[in-house]
Amino acid sequence: MRRHIPATACGIGLVFLAAFPLVYGASDYDYIMHLWITAFFYAILASSWSLLAGYAGQFSFGHMAFMALGAYTTGLFNNYFYLTSAATGTCFEIPLGSWYFVVLDPIGVSASPYSCLDAARDAWTVDVTITKPSLWFGILFGILVGGLFGWLIGRLVLRLRAAYLALFTLGFSEILRAILSAEIGVTRGQAGLELDPLFPDGVSILGASFDATDKLPTYYVMFALLLACIALMMRLERSRFGLFVRSLREDEDAAAALGVHTVRYKLYTFVVTSMIAAAAGAVQAHYIGIITPNILIILQMALVVAMAVVGGLESIVAAAVGGVVVYFLLEFLRNDFTIGAVSIDMTIWRLVFFGAIVMLTLRFQRNGLLYAFIMWCTRAGVAQETVAKRAAAQQPPGKE
Amino acid sequence: MEHSIIFWPVVLWMIAWGVVGSVVTPRVFLRRDMDISNASLAGAFVGAASGPFGLAPLWYLAPKSTRGWVLLSAAGALAILIAAFALADPDNVCVTNGSLVASQVANGLVMGTIYALMAMGLTLIFSILRVVNFAHGEFYMVGGMSVYYVSAVWLPEMPPAAAVLVACGITFVIGGAFERLFLTPMYDGRVERPIEYAVLVTFGLVFFLQYFVQALAGASPVKAQRFFDFPIIRLPSAEDPWLIKTSKANLQLFDTVSVSNPRFTAAVISVLVLLGLLFFLYRTWWGKALRAVSQDRQAAAVAGIDPNKMNMLAFALGGMLAGLSGAVLVQAFSWVPQVGMLPALRSFVIVVLGGLGSLPGAFIGGIIVGMVEAAGTGCIPDPQRAASYIPAYGMLILTLTLLLKPTGLFGRRE
Amino acid sequence: MKILTRTAVIATGIVALAASAPALAVDCPVKLGGIAPLSAPGAVTGGEAQRMGMQIAVEAINAGGGVLGCEVELVMGDTEGLPEKGTALFEKLISQDNVAGIAGGYHSSVGIAGKEVAHDKGVPVIFASTWNDQITATKLPEVFRVAPLSSEASALYWKFAASIPGTEKVVIVTENTDYGIPAAEETEKGLESVGLASTTFAVDIGTQDFSGIVQRVNAEGPDAIIVLLTGEASFNFQQQAAENGIGPGDLPFVCDILAAESASFWENVPDGNYCFVGQFGLPEALYNDAAKAFAATYKERTGKEAVESYAIEAYDAIGLLAAAIQQAGSTDGAAIIAALEAIEYDGALGTVSFPYGQGNDTAAAGVEDKFWHQFLDPALMIFQYQEEGQKAGDAPIVFPDTYKTGDAVFVNQ
Repeated sequence: MRRHIPATACGIGLVFLAAFPLVYGASDYDYIMHLWITAFFYAILASSWSLLAGYAGQFSFGHMAFMALGAYTTGLFNNYFYLTSAATGTCFEIPLGSWYFVVLDPIGVSASPYSCLDAARDAWTVDVTITKPSLWFGILFGILVGGLFGWLIGRLVLRLRAAYLALFTLGFSEILRAILSAEIGVTRGQAGLELDPLFPDGVSILGASFDATDKLPTYYVMFALLLACIALMMRLERSRFGLFVRSLREDEDAAAALGVHTVRYKLYTFVVTSMIAAAAGAVQAHYIGIITPNILIILQMALVVAMAVVGGLESIVAAAVGGVVVYFLLEFLRNDFTIGAVSIDMTIWRLVFFGAIVMLTLRFQRNGLLYAFIMWCTRAGVAQETVAKRAAAQQPPGKE
Repeated sequence: MEHSIIFWPVVLWMIAWGVVGSVVTPRVFLRRDMDISNASLAGAFVGAASGPFGLAPLWYLAPKSTRGWVLLSAAGALAILIAAFALADPDNVCVTNGSLVASQVANGLVMGTIYALMAMGLTLIFSILRVVNFAHGEFYMVGGMSVYYVSAVWLPEMPPAAAVLVACGITFVIGGAFERLFLTPMYDGRVERPIEYAVLVTFGLVFFLQYFVQALAGASPVKAQRFFDFPIIRLPSAEDPWLIKTSKANLQLFDTVSVSNPRFTAAVISVLVLLGLLFFLYRTWWGKALRAVSQDRQAAAVAGIDPNKMNMLAFALGGMLAGLSGAVLVQAFSWVPQVGMLPALRSFVIVVLGGLGSLPGAFIGGIIVGMVEAAGTGCIPDPQRAASYIPAYGMLILTLTLLLKPTGLFGRRE
Repeated sequence: MKILTRTAVIATGIVALAASAPALAVDCPVKLGGIAPLSAPGAVTGGEAQRMGMQIAVEAINAGGGVLGCEVELVMGDTEGLPEKGTALFEKLISQDNVAGIAGGYHSSVGIAGKEVAHDKGVPVIFASTWNDQITATKLPEVFRVAPLSSEASALYWKFAASIPGTEKVVIVTENTDYGIPAAEETEKGLESVGLASTTFAVDIGTQDFSGIVQRVNAEGPDAIIVLLTGEASFNFQQQAAENGIGPGDLPFVCDILAAESASFWENVPDGNYCFVGQFGLPEALYNDAAKAFAATYKERTGKEAVESYAIEAYDAIGLLAAAIQQAGSTDGAAIIAALEAIEYDGALGTVSFPYGQGNDTAAAGVEDKFWHQFLDPALMIFQYQEEGQKAGDAPIVFPDTYKTGDAVFVNQ
């Protein structure tokens, strides 16, 4: 029976999560929904990182950089591109039929921003319609940029072995952070780039209408993205591709000798996981509404790594669940608690405990807490079976 | 950059011929049955420095072309870049202000030496354990914090040199204890993928140490007093001290080079420690044993060296070197628990640049990164970008190097 | 759940009525949200000071009987200095902890992002140390501020620089953030208006080694330097400048406000004598009784030598919220806002009021939008350390003339 526990748990979990926003009705609804959406975001990152690191054996510390690329691409798209029905004459613009595709000049962080579009608006005497291209194009664009950079960085690190790869990708991430915070005229640096909400004009689902700030639509978007990413990765994992990728991890040289095109598959994994990270980043950026270069500080990367580790690097689903569990754990650890006479201020000790948990998990449950549980379930009965088979094989043939 | 019309074509020309050199040279060498591990790098240098005029003889005379030639080309390429820059931007402070350049070079050397010390710790650990210590920056931070607490809070009477020794002791013990507690499962095959395991477990240590120190010490910036003040020296005469002029906090040589007191002290201590480290590694039994293990584990074990002990020693020693560089810099910079992040990243760049596991590589890498950072902050025309991109300068050099030589400058193929 | 609570409330109300106590339908305790950066990458030093200020305020209120017959409870939250964490925190405080109002705040970017959430939920927020003009200039009904405006603070700096005799060229060293860049721009504009040349160097907040920048600043040949960096970066720059001969001891040098924390300043910038420091809020000599009482408790708890302006502001922000709730007679957002607009609160900062708001629109009153719900009289002044190891409270105030207690020493004269 134990064998069915993981599948049953997954099923129950899915039904629970799908129904949750409709059923839950306490006063902290918005806050709990916020926690779930963010937890899904981390789950996507942790599971895609586990595919890259655990499955393909490429310990990239640049995963958050791809997430940030997705977020900033859609953020810049959202802030700089407009459609107008008349020429501005002040901005860079491309005519598209009766519309003009307008690119703004850098916003900067000055106290009173005045863009070329504002100048045009003041100059226009007729009514001009100004709209933004749909932000879904921005998100799509973000995913593509993530993929493109995934390909470039993937090509660069192909020839590097484990430790070099980890260090190089960490450096890449740090350069990107430096660029985002230094090019303040374009990205607004530490001041943060503001983005429209995912559904700027609200949305109506099955007759019920929701505001731009309502969490329910975003919840389902992020949830769907999580499921889609996991489905995609599991498909990859179970295909011939998965077999090849695993062979790369186990012994790259042997795999190459057997005719597996190691370079192509490594690169392919890198690109796919980068795109997934970029997608998560792009959607989350619109949800939060503001992004800063700090989304890719080393601490954030460490968080994703810790999630995958606690969940279990060997399994995509386990890593995703790890993401959710660790995120909620971190939120839970914000509450102070008292043991006997010692009261512990968790704003101070939270991350100390967190570091200790990561180290101890690795030391004593190397495959992650969840993965160990899954293995315990699926291996149920295997031992008896083996014993039975052996017993059958050892029976002296003459007896029958 | 008013005259960018000179600069960018020169750079493009160098890049183009560098690419040609790096792509074609390995093929030429391969055809002549030569070692190609350095071919891309050599080809790129020669191509960038002298274009087709250098590449043609390099390929033609292939087996006879020497290392000296390549080094000369590298210097040549650098000289051309500098000349093009000077011509393109004649008003740049780096071109007009000799004293600034001299001070920046001195500062680059001073900081480079300290960076090198820290990176050597990292590379020492790697050469023995095949492990990258991600918590290296936290050892640096703990080293500085220990000096502050010993010399300013707990025992204000204690001489600074003794405080540095205490810091060394603390980081040595933390390193050793961590290795015993968390890295031992790697050695007996209980961990499937040891390198990755180590990466992750040291990552956990980053969190633990950083926030543990913050919980204990708080987040206010602290700083140790200068270890000693300069005596006031005026040479050759008090009226015209063009040779050496000192104030309490600053040393000026030849009226141009200016080095601040804390950095000067830090560099002097670093050089002494480097010499001590060399003596330890080459003249003592333990040092020789360490090197033996790094060269061939099995053979060393056969010769009666316990590799287990060497693992612990290497990790503790590596952590101590990071702690030491923190300990000497805590009098130069304000110290907070997050202070280790940037130096750690810099150490990573340095060791990969020099080749993981290579001590001379770490030293030369340290100096290169120190100089590149000094040049970058001093010379980039836009002051905002100059200061913001400090972490990126080293990375740029690193990316180029890895493209041309995936094992770093002095790394070995494994 | 909801019905239960309501029954409970009604029941309490009845009991209260029966006891002829003030009949107010308020859940006890009254919860107030406190926000501050308490972990990196936020400015933790500032955040800890604010937290202490708010805690002392809550204790004082409870010692005086609380508000509306209830204890006041402070729910602290960590913004980490990140706008995205800030919005999440506002979300949590309002919808999970059900706070009646929010006080505090340090990083402007957090304030800019968080104010939208407060606006969305109709919960009042009093910002204590977020200077960016935009925060009040957007004229949200829920947003109040007791901290100075960034443009006013910049004006103090450039007017002071203009008053230094013999100054022609000023170098501004700032950080590339939403605090530093606009502040530097405003200062430059002001300097230009009085005919002074200036150059700005903007650096990344994580910078530790400033030697290259110091050399470049030196090469500019400045007559005065203004530092607009925050956190340990300001200490690092000031000390490294001093070590290279362009420090406070060599030319008029305006240090960052963090220098007002004198013990920490002298430890980190031992060569920082003759530094000019901006002070926002009254000097200790001019403290009223509220401020004196607070300062005594604060110094005792933290062991610090002086009280930083952001701690006082945070202290008053909590006090204001509590007073407004008391006056409004309920924890309803709109009622508290109405009470705040009408308030005359005697706090540690002096008498705090918000003259421009929904009743008296900035446009109608003919003032700039940035004065919306803005405390108009945060005292701004500059003092100068004139002895090594001097306490901030003992250092003479040298600018402007209204507050002057001593003459400035210009070291290059």
